Amino acid sequence: MKTVMVFPERCIGCKHCEIACAVEHSKSKDLFAMFSEDILSKPRIHVEEGEDLLTFPNRCRHCNPAPCIEVCPTGAIKRDDETGSVIVEYGKCIACGMCAIACPFGIISFGKTYEIVIDRDVNVKCDNCIERQKEGKEPACVEACKTGTLVFGDANDLIKLKRQSVTRNITSSPDAKEEPVIPENIVLWRELNKKYSHASKY
Amino acid sequence: MAKWTAEEKSIDKATQEMIRKAERDGVETVWDRLEKQQPQCGYGQLGICCKNCMQGPCRIDPFGDGPKKGVCGADADTIVARTLERMIAAGAAAHSDHGRHVVLALHEALEHGAPYPIKDEKKLKAVAKKLGIGIENRDIKEIAKDLVNVAFNDFGKQDEELIKFADSYANEKRKATWEKAGVEPRNIDREVVEAMHRTHMGVDHDPASLILHGIRTSLGDGWGGSLIATEFQDILFGTPQINRGEANLGVIKEDYVNIVIHGHEPVLSEKIIEAAQDDELVELAKKYGAKGINTVGMCCTGLEVLMRHGTPIAGNYLQQEMAIVTGAVEAMVVDVQCIMPSLVDVAKCYHTKIIDTSHIATFPGALHIKFDERRADEIAKEIVKTAVENFPNRNKQLMQIPKYKSEAVGGFSVEAILDALGDSLKPLEDAIISGKIRGVVGIVGCNNAKVKHNYNHITLTNELIKNNILIIGTGCWATACAEYGIFLPEYAKNAGDSLREVCETLGIPPALNMGSCVDCSRMLVLADLIARDLNVDISDLPLAGSATEAMTEKAVSIGTYFVASGIFTHLGTVPPVLGSKKVVDILTKAAFDVVGGAFFIEPDPVKAAKVLADYIEDKRKALGI
Ligand code: SF4
Ligand code: SF4
Ligand code: SF4
Ligand code: SF4
Repeated sequence: MKTVMVFPERCIGCKHCEIACAVEHSKSKDLFAMFSEDILSKPRIHVEEGEDLLTFPNRCRHCNPAPCIEVCPTGAIKRDDETGSVIVEYGKCIACGMCAIACPFGIISFGKTYEIVIDRDVNVKCDNCIERQKEGKEPACVEACKTGTLVFGDANDLIKLKRQSVTRNITSSPDAKEEPVIPENIVLWRELNKKYSHASKY
Repeated sequence: MAKWTAEEKSIDKATQEMIRKAERDGVETVWDRLEKQQPQCGYGQLGICCKNCMQGPCRIDPFGDGPKKGVCGADADTIVARTLERMIAAGAAAHSDHGRHVVLALHEALEHGAPYPIKDEKKLKAVAKKLGIGIENRDIKEIAKDLVNVAFNDFGKQDEELIKFADSYANEKRKATWEKAGVEPRNIDREVVEAMHRTHMGVDHDPASLILHGIRTSLGDGWGGSLIATEFQDILFGTPQINRGEANLGVIKEDYVNIVIHGHEPVLSEKIIEAAQDDELVELAKKYGAKGINTVGMCCTGLEVLMRHGTPIAGNYLQQEMAIVTGAVEAMVVDVQCIMPSLVDVAKCYHTKIIDTSHIATFPGALHIKFDERRADEIAKEIVKTAVENFPNRNKQLMQIPKYKSEAVGGFSVEAILDALGDSLKPLEDAIISGKIRGVVGIVGCNNAKVKHNYNHITLTNELIKNNILIIGTGCWATACAEYGIFLPEYAKNAGDSLREVCETLGIPPALNMGSCVDCSRMLVLADLIARDLNVDISDLPLAGSATEAMTEKAVSIGTYFVASGIFTHLGTVPPVLGSKKVVDILTKAAFDVVGGAFFIEPDPVKAAKVLADYIEDKRKALGI
């Protein structure tokens, strides 16, 4: 199973993924032309601030079984068997919001898309960049993320990466010089951010 | 993912061959780096990220849902205009600082005996006369000293008057337009400093007033810093005359010590060329088994020496890494501007030495032999010797020099054009009035890795000459044309019938090489002379400009001073302004009402040619010709 794995400790909150996602789902697929289109394409991934000024790029997990599919009364949400993606058939969506209630991650948003002519909002959630995947490309957000926060690949392979770093941490002797996973200056920046965010609360 | 092929990266055969070689040799090039950068940051591309104070960086949400203002309250219009203004200031600074260096070289020669004799006394007198400096019965050195002072003054005076160079070179109509718009540059450096001041947090927030100052800053470049660079270089090194030279990577010679001089300032490269002819050094080269020393140019330095000496030029901006990939370059000697820091890494895969020479430009990992005007000859010899001694380190297995090169006729300074036409622009003006030449387009500057190398330059030029439009130009455009054979008189067969006839009568190519990017000033001077002769403003003439593969901040400054000189100017790449509709409107529409010129953006060179040709026809109609 291929998935987009998130390594949130690497996210710097640049929102590059958001813009790339919007461009990918615009009619022209061009940043400059996008803003003069009749229907403005919007990001389907959401980089929002959490605690300590840290950010998390939140996008559809393409669950299986998917709560959104289960609750959709019109059968507008379907699974693409080839890629395992959970996709919306816009014409069938009645914007009832049931999917959004069921989604454990709160990633569904309603909006317009050039792909249907009707003038109303529908569920325009992440489609896993299914068109790109079928062309052998990785999702737009993954391509855009230059920090390695969003990585596309086989789920188990990516989980293994995480596991390996845990194993290294557990087994390394306390005085061994560790290969830093996150560069020192970024660690410092995070610490200072944390102080900032606490200072501003007083 | 589909591979980005060499044919898609460049239209030039020599470059394609070297791109493939770089791949085989495992060398990372500019295109690989661009690929790794994709997609690039949308905020940056739209110009809606502000880092001008430490409350930022602030970003405006282009989707309209999120923040519409930075922390201080600056909106997208302010932020975009400030970003643009800083780009113009940086571009103007680069050109003008180059200009200053040339004036300083002359000053050093006059006051401290630096080895820079005045080569062109005729030009010196002509420039002095234009500036109102007395020349009758005066010693050349005295005239030169006065000239240096006028230039220094334009960099340093504190009054509100228009700088002397612009005042003396621009016609009354143009100056009246500037005065009315309040954009007369008062001091070349001051406008750059004021640009930085205005764009500091909490100062100027009105997009219109920011852009007006951008215009003022750019005029200090075009009719100040760049013009001074051109004029003083002509005085010191000779005014270019029509000549022949060769262009493209094929000018690198297998059996010779190859030195590539790359960058912008001829103050250095002129000396390297001299040193490379030094008997002792040539002997030394022979001792190491070379047939001699082959000095070739790159980028604008290349154009300076091509224009003045017919020195071969190895390529333009996107070919700098390619030259090293030939494996046959002993040294690449660099000074300032448009030099990729990656050269040092590319050179590590071969034996090439990168030698940096400017006190203001140090490249980590390069050999540093810093230049000093007073010891110019000595240092130039040391540099050439270093290159010669590197010859035995060549790895023959890694050597492959593309065969491709083309001959090119160039050297079209305004003086050379006047000479060719019999001391008057009348033949050219008559051809324009009669309609044999519909108009003139000046194409400038740059390659940009985002544009297929040389494609826009060549396509736009071809389309325009077909429409009987004469092309003049500078910078990387000129090198592209030289490589493509466009600068050969026989290329006129590809022009429209009437332009072809004019070219064949005069024996000139349909596109004229006017030099390096500071030499864009030559185009302004030419436009000004035609406007004077016809008693109209520059903005009334059937002229247009284009920076079709624009990349640098210098190109933004050039584009702006073209517009501010009354010239409708095309950009083939998109500057970071689209985040503000207001700024785009000012640049593309309102500017016409203020300075008589404006920008238009069109990435497709064929479509751009049509717009430029239509504009020229409209201008003809308005003039009644
Ligand atoms: S929308 Fe929510 S529930 Fe549905 S697949 Fe995506 S993450 Fe799962
Ligand atoms: S996978 Fe595609 S649709 Fe989903 S968040 Fe990423 S870019 Fe957007
Ligand atoms: S592009 Fe990567 S680093 Fe930037 S906000 Fe998105 S996930 Fe975070
Ligand atoms: S100047 Fe204003 S917009 Fe710019 S970074 Fe500072 S607060 Fe933000």
